Amino acid sequence: MIRHRMLALVALALCALAPAPPGEAARGGALRSGAFEPARPAPELALPATTGGEFRLSRQQGKVIALTFGYTSCPDICPTVLAELVQVRVRLGGAARRVQVAYVTVDPDRDSPARLRAYTGQFDRTFVGLTGTAEQLAAVWKAYGVSVVRRDLPGTRPPMYLLHHSASVFLIDPAGRLRVMAPFGTPVDDVVHDIRVLLEE
Amino acid sequence: MRRSLALVLTGLLLVAPAALAQDVAIRLEKPWVRRAPLMPDARPGAESTAAGYVTLVNRGSERDALVAASADAAARVELHQTRNMSGMMMMEPVEKVDLAPGGRVELKPGSYHLMLIGLRRALTPGQTVTLTLQFERAGRLTTRAEVR
Repeated sequence: MIRHRMLALVALALCALAPAPPGEAARGGALRSGAFEPARPAPELALPATTGGEFRLSRQQGKVIALTFGYTSCPDICPTVLAELVQVRVRLGGAARRVQVAYVTVDPDRDSPARLRAYTGQFDRTFVGLTGTAEQLAAVWKAYGVSVVRRDLPGTRPPMYLLHHSASVFLIDPAGRLRVMAPFGTPVDDVVHDIRVLLEE
Repeated sequence: MRRSLALVLTGLLLVAPAALAQDVAIRLEKPWVRRAPLMPDARPGAESTAAGYVTLVNRGSERDALVAASADAAARVELHQTRNMSGMMMMEPVEKVDLAPGGRVELKPGSYHLMLIGLRRALTPGQTVTLTLQFERAGRLTTRAEVR
């Protein structure tokens, strides 16, 4: 029951955050993935980083931030998204220096900084993993409309669980504005294209 | 005597591959496993995991189903399916993956996959993992999957 209510709330939050339909996005610019129209300031995010210290979004201006959410026990979707972001950086060539991938955990119970570092580091050492307290993280998920629902695997003790979660990649422009939500499955070429657009504005 | 033995052997050589091909209606194509590190504080309930992918082809005239799997690199393997519910990715265990006569099912990212749980070693690109797949009719089939 509580879970259903949470899902409904999350669905509402997602609707509120949903990018404009493609027609409007096309009028607003040349972005190919789901564009936020109008662009809005990206919700602030300040979390302990696997690279040391605190990662504060408002201090990252001048770069495009590719922000995504997942967890280290996720074998299918999360590695797929991160592997695609590796390809994105490779295709960007030198411009990749102005792109920061940030991976926020949806699993504070299991994802210690060491686990996150091992996980993100195998893809690309520049990727920053972000964790924090359950409260800190829940506030970030909510701000970005990211829903997280736990599902215990039957017959495991202590319980092994999976987390249903949104797997979109958010792009934040060098001025700190939330510009794109690329859903899972968005072609790598489109993400590369949109990052170039944001870097060249 | 020697000549008849040679004939028999030749006959066996000719017949054996055909017989094998007929017996095993299931073909496994394009197997691969996603690279994965060993987790620093792996423990029961928080094991190191990885995903395995393979295309199942049923060349036979009977329905079959993938019902279980194992891997040399993991304590256990589960059959899972990821579904996309309006952007929310939901991963669920499944009992089996059905395979119609003449059909093919691709285990691929964002869809059906093998979830390797409790990795015994880090999986790095270039290594191989031996996957054993158990089918309802075809029995047990083994394939070597490249880590990517």
